[in-house]
Amino acid sequence: MSALEPVTADSEICQIITCLPEKFVVDFANGIDVARDHLRVQKGRDGFYARCYDGFTGQGAKRQAEINACVLDGVEASLDWLIELTESLANSNLAIARVNDRVNNLKLDVARIADYSVSTRRTLEALAGRLDARCGVLGQEIRRIDFVQRVQLNLDQVFNKWRAGRYSSFSLGGRCYVALEELRWGAFGDYCRTQSGKQRQTFLEDMVNRATAQLVEDTGNSASARMDTRHWLSAPVGRGVLADAADALAYMGKGFDGDDKPFICAVTQVSSKWPRDLPRISSAERVTKAMASEVFESYAYA
Amino acid sequence: MLEEMKVGLVLSGGGAKGAYQVGVLKALLELGARVDMVAGASIGALNGAVLASAPSLEIGVERLENLWMTMAADSPISMKMPGYLTLLCATGLQINGSAAFGMLGKVAQLAARRAGIPLHLELLKQLSSGVLCDKPLKLLMDEYLDFAGLARGLPLYVSVFESTDGFSDLTSVLSAELGLGNSPSSKFFHVQSLPVAEQKEALLASAAIPLMFASREIEGSMYSDGGQGGWSNVQGNTPITPLLEAGCNLVMVTHLTDGSLWSRHDFPDAKILEIRPQSSIARNTGFFGGAADLLGFDSTKIPSWIDQGYQDAQHAVGRVMKPLAARAALRTSEAALQKSESQNAFADLSLKAAISRLH
Repeated sequence: MSALEPVTADSEICQIITCLPEKFVVDFANGIDVARDHLRVQKGRDGFYARCYDGFTGQGAKRQAEINACVLDGVEASLDWLIELTESLANSNLAIARVNDRVNNLKLDVARIADYSVSTRRTLEALAGRLDARCGVLGQEIRRIDFVQRVQLNLDQVFNKWRAGRYSSFSLGGRCYVALEELRWGAFGDYCRTQSGKQRQTFLEDMVNRATAQLVEDTGNSASARMDTRHWLSAPVGRGVLADAADALAYMGKGFDGDDKPFICAVTQVSSKWPRDLPRISSAERVTKAMASEVFESYAYA
Repeated sequence: MLEEMKVGLVLSGGGAKGAYQVGVLKALLELGARVDMVAGASIGALNGAVLASAPSLEIGVERLENLWMTMAADSPISMKMPGYLTLLCATGLQINGSAAFGMLGKVAQLAARRAGIPLHLELLKQLSSGVLCDKPLKLLMDEYLDFAGLARGLPLYVSVFESTDGFSDLTSVLSAELGLGNSPSSKFFHVQSLPVAEQKEALLASAAIPLMFASREIEGSMYSDGGQGGWSNVQGNTPITPLLEAGCNLVMVTHLTDGSLWSRHDFPDAKILEIRPQSSIARNTGFFGGAADLLGFDSTKIPSWIDQGYQDAQHAVGRVMKPLAARAALRTSEAALQKSESQNAFADLSLKAAISRLH
């Protein structure tokens, strides 16, 4: 007898026992026990008289026929079950094939998505690069505009001060020098030092024009009207003139060489001897341009 | 549409080996099996009657176990008399007085001697008069053979053999045993359909060993032990026919002999689960060993039969149910696969649409 696991009330079997079982399965499984019972008895009836009795009564043949029938049932059930299992296995294989096809399709779709993702990433990276560059350009442009704006403000501020009479304590040439020096130390000066090209030249031209216009306004003459140089260098007198204006100019012009910067030296330093290259008569335009070329070395006047 | 399950139980005859059926029923109860109707022959008819008249399968099994364990317990009667005869007398059968001193009595005496138990024919005579009837057993039988309960209980069929006279009956059985034809088929009575007065007669007739017990009259004919009918193909002793005719689509058949020549193949359309002894059910050997087992000379063997029936039923049901469980699992997995695949089309379509939107 084959060893079978004991069946308990909790067994799954007990849940199934309430369902109607299939006949061929019952015949198949139960037939084993039936055949075993007959075989056991058959085996025990091997004595002479028992064999004679079984042969005479036909019980031996009947028992053998019953065993054969059970075996046949088992073989038939095995065949049925094998066919059924094979069909089920075929269905399972087909299902697996379908799953495999679907997995392959899914892989292709995933690959497509991955390709798309890579392409999208590259596009995004390129876009990001372009955006960065564009932002950089825009930033530079903004900084440049800001710079230009500050230069413009610097120019306006300085010449407004001049126009408002804040430099009235200085000589005419001194006013021009102070204004240009103030521009050199401000945003205007920064711009001229760091930038080059047309815009810088335009600013310098604008500066010269504004200074010329202001000197024209201060002298009451035309821009090209020549005057004695002393007229340009003589300090104003009277109430409202700052006492230390001359000292301030001298401080600002300290260290300049008269040969190299004759107008600056003449304006800032009180000396009985003028620099050799200083013209003895000058127009407002001449003074402004000369002063601009000395303060802003990059400015070349014709 | 699922076929409604109707389970029949065949309790075959076999005298004192009927204790085996108690073990079978215990196992079936534990396994949660249902029983819708019962058919029995001889001791199977008595066991079936106790089971069918009980309010539930559980109580029926409990009563049967109690009854058989009472029989197994030593009592002054059981020490001297075969247990099965004591049970039959307790049920109401009376020893055929003339036979007690006749040929059958002598056979019984020989069988008892082989089993090592002295049998005094005088005792048989006294048993027939009820003097030596085992009172505790009789009380139990009076209680458990509840015909009012039987009317409400499971349909019960019993196998009976239409008797001409004891010797003729035995002659036809002997001829069938020797392969010289077959004994006439047994008849099956639906006990609950009989008039109340004849219900007990039918039970007693089914268990009335020819010559030893007088045949019983039912519907104007005389009947004795149902196991005699259709002897060569065990038709009467294994009353499956009434259950199949009553519409049972699964029948559990218990056998009380080693290598019973009853054939499931005589019922090609029926679903039959046979519970056969997987080791020898015989407890006595030799020429009269069968008679000794039948009459139950040694009541101490009863618990071993109960245990064997329990083991064999567990084994037989387990052997059938395991492949059924496997097939059920296969069906479930196939259904799950089919259901899962039915959702593929929608998923494929959704993915295809999504992928097509990428381009």
